[in-house]
Amino acid sequence: MRAVRLLLVLVGVGFGLWGVWLMRDFTSDQLISMGTWLVGGVILHDAVIAPVTVLLGVVAARVLPGRTYAVAAIAFLVWATLTVTVANVLSGQGGKPDNDTVLNRPYGLSWLILTAVVVIAALGMARFRPKTPHTSAAEGSPTNG
Amino acid sequence: MRLPRVEDIEKRLPRPEDFTARSRGPATTARVGSALGIAFGICFLTGLWSHAQYTTPGWLPIGPDPAWLYRVTQGTHVATGIASVPLLLVKLWSVYPRFFIRPPRARRDRLVDVLERASIGVLVAAAIFMLTSGLLNVVQWYPWEFSFRRTHEAVAWVAIGALLVHIAVKLPVIREGLGASVEDEATVDAEGPSRRAVLRGVTVASGVALVLTVGQTVPLLRRISVFGVRDGDGPQGLPVNRTARAAGATRAASDPAFTLKLKAGGRIVSVTRDELAKLPQRTHRLPIACVEGWSRNAVWTGVSVQDLVALVGAPSGSTVTVRSMQTRGAFRTSELPGNFVDDPRTLLALELNGEPLSLDHGYPCRIIAPNRPGVLQTKWVRELEVRT
Repeated sequence: MRAVRLLLVLVGVGFGLWGVWLMRDFTSDQLISMGTWLVGGVILHDAVIAPVTVLLGVVAARVLPGRTYAVAAIAFLVWATLTVTVANVLSGQGGKPDNDTVLNRPYGLSWLILTAVVVIAALGMARFRPKTPHTSAAEGSPTNG
Repeated sequence: MRLPRVEDIEKRLPRPEDFTARSRGPATTARVGSALGIAFGICFLTGLWSHAQYTTPGWLPIGPDPAWLYRVTQGTHVATGIASVPLLLVKLWSVYPRFFIRPPRARRDRLVDVLERASIGVLVAAAIFMLTSGLLNVVQWYPWEFSFRRTHEAVAWVAIGALLVHIAVKLPVIREGLGASVEDEATVDAEGPSRRAVLRGVTVASGVALVLTVGQTVPLLRRISVFGVRDGDGPQGLPVNRTARAAGATRAASDPAFTLKLKAGGRIVSVTRDELAKLPQRTHRLPIACVEGWSRNAVWTGVSVQDLVALVGAPSGSTVTVRSMQTRGAFRTSELPGNFVDDPRTLLALELNGEPLSLDHGYPCRIIAPNRPGVLQTKWVRELEVRT
């Protein structure tokens, strides 16, 4: 096991260095742009997406009764991750004005239908799911803040 | 009023134990993480393959057979990347509390802590970068200064490197997490979703994301893939990636006095489109398969490039440089290696699905060869030079 882990680290570091080597002739503008996107993605997730998700969870756990909360959390998981996945076609960006064979579907309408389907499925599940016993608190409510 | 000190801020930040969702934990993380690791592995290998297909290094036996190979590898690359988005988000959610673990007090432990956090920082940054840049590339949106192709490749090596280091560091936790049953005492009776429900949720999200986008690669799902970038239709039944206007080829391509130049050594032969149409014609059903993941089969009719090489008196198996009339954008020339030239299915096509090529599909003539990335299927061809 120790040997396997050591090998993984060595190969991993090697891969990483090769990746950096492939950037050797990038111009400073390109490097700055790449760095901005690398760091920006982490900040967007860690400082915006994740805290908002946690806050929504805290509020939902307080407002919704136990089993409804559980269903709502999973419905949110499915809806939110799908929304992020198709954000590229929903953005209205990309494509070319003279090419109507690309980005040629009613994505906004599809997204509304997707949202409605998730909501209806969640309502159905919350209604028909068997009751589970009520024991402890759910998603984090900061105790010292 | 005084400014808050570091300790004041630290007191207000949550601690890992403040996050009480029972659905988090190593059993969840190890399962989602394993799926994500496999998905990233598939993306990495198919991605390397795509770069190899672009550059055809001599030591790799890449040839025209099977004709559908690039279609499958690149379709898999994009589909797997898309299916990874829900996995990555849930994976990050499952470990988010660990972000708030306070650094250790002992200086010796602090170095290890900093190294581990740095490696995870690199992994998270690279993973988000790979999926974001890929998703924007498939809609042809480039809001950055770097070259997509080269940067997506370089950061991929960094991402997989950081992933291997991460697996090495976490191997005992992963084994324990996978070995344990999904639910334990603490999660069974607790309120909120169970771990099983989270795992089912992310599986559904990943699967639905796949089905709703993959129709541009899998014709059967065309109607269902409502979030696909292309509905699979276009002039003459085929989508267009770059129009004649965007490529700056309209004027040259519509010139009635067009002649194709065939070059070999010092010889130059000029052929009009009518003369091309009088040469022996072949018809083949071949896919166009783009790096953006979309592909579509079509019926192509034209002159075998092999015959054109013979026409100019060059030996078979020669490499052919293809030059386009396009005045804008990359890939104005492409290289057809000898093994592709030797395949009679490699055509200088004049017709698509039984009609003369439309301007956007490469009129007056274009290259179509089996098993090649779409961008190398040069349109609006003005010159073929045989390298002898």
